[in-house]
Amino acid sequence: MNNSQGKIGFYGCPKKEVTGEIRQRFPECEWVDLDIDYGKPDSGIMPRAYCKIIRNIIDNAFSLKENMRIIVASVGADKCEGGRYASYILQKMGFDVVESKNDDILSCQNPEKVDVPISTSSIPLVEKVEKIMDTVLIDSTETFMQVKPTHGFWGVPPNDFNLLRLFPDSTHVYGWTRTVEASRPADIDLECFVVPDIPTVFYTQSFCAKSQLAKHLADKYGGLYIDADGKIGMGIQARIEAFLELNI
Amino acid sequence: MKIADCGTTYTKILDTESDELEIIQTKDLLRVSQMKFDGATGHLGRMKSDYYKNELVCLARGTQNILKSDTFCVVDVGGRDTKLVEFKDGKPLRLDWNTACGANTGFTLEIIGRYFDIDFNSLDTEDDYINVTCGVFGIERAFDLIIDGVSVDKAVARFVHGVARNVYRLVDGRERFYLSGGLVENKCFMKTIEKYADVVPLGRAVLLNGLMVCMENSDLKTGFKIP
Repeated sequence: MNNSQGKIGFYGCPKKEVTGEIRQRFPECEWVDLDIDYGKPDSGIMPRAYCKIIRNIIDNAFSLKENMRIIVASVGADKCEGGRYASYILQKMGFDVVESKNDDILSCQNPEKVDVPISTSSIPLVEKVEKIMDTVLIDSTETFMQVKPTHGFWGVPPNDFNLLRLFPDSTHVYGWTRTVEASRPADIDLECFVVPDIPTVFYTQSFCAKSQLAKHLADKYGGLYIDADGKIGMGIQARIEAFLELNI
Repeated sequence: MKIADCGTTYTKILDTESDELEIIQTKDLLRVSQMKFDGATGHLGRMKSDYYKNELVCLARGTQNILKSDTFCVVDVGGRDTKLVEFKDGKPLRLDWNTACGANTGFTLEIIGRYFDIDFNSLDTEDDYINVTCGVFGIERAFDLIIDGVSVDKAVARFVHGVARNVYRLVDGRERFYLSGGLVENKCFMKTIEKYADVVPLGRAVLLNGLMVCMENSDLKTGFKIP
């Protein structure tokens, strides 16, 4: 797919019905996940002290504006208020935006029984998170070898994936990322589910509303609460390394 | 074997055979780029040895070994940052590494002391304190006090008190904790923080002790006689 055919930007975990319809309308276009930090210049639109993921959405959209055909925006409880406001700003700035609310399922009775084969697989944590986020657009057909967890990672895909490289392959994925694999990104019971005895790092982006949950769960389960903004620094790296090693 | 704790301002080098501890300024280590160690920790440790262990792990293992206890709270005040490890029954309850707020206070304390030719071992403590949000803000407030007519000694002692308060806040006001790092040799700091809590100094070689424990338990088979 080359640039002249245009791009479809998306963020969060929009409904497959919405992404499917857009794919039919623009079959030639390349899809770009606007949540990801591609190192695009600061558009100057967002405050500096704000969630880096939401800043990525705006900065990426403006960097790609010339080729952007349409943006699929997650604006429900499956994303956050930041996603809703970003959609509003993008529309006011002239982007063609289609909104999606993927929040039909807000709660579940048995979160431990939800099938999430990628989250519990033996592949490296970076690949787990990448493959889970790939399922936002296309369901996975792969089979994954399962592993007994030694550690847990709870949270959203971080702005800096180097953070994920610190974890062993036997790490299971929890939190919002796990809900994405289960196609129920607004399910708060599933989002808050962890295996109590597994040492888990509870991660959020700085300035994210999910830090409330992360701190609560870290205190409840004796995990490590971490928040980071852009690139992870030495202190955060050392805290995670130490937590993983000292819990063996 | 030679192992090192390569901190931002000082590098502590231990000869494990003679048990001799050498402390050099890290700026001198940076000038000798080829100098390598058998094991290292500290900010610059990764580039100085093939065996590296981060400071929090070394602080935890060193304290555990020195105290022969699995339940403790230890703080290491370094030149650039402050680290905290709290263990309960052998598991980490809290791991903190304070680099932003309170950053560079140890280093600034040394600079301000050297500039004003202060002997921290004879400096009287002060009941008043400066809010040492970070090294730069702290030094600005110390200068403001001096401009307002407060003596240099009192201004610096209030800076020391501000650092002590930061440490006390970091430990959430607990009555007893352990202290590691160069500040244990600063009598003004120790007398000040002892007004707040029962503080037990562990010396400057806690991280090196922890590094030895980690190396001994690794595949290196060092045969260390760990103190």
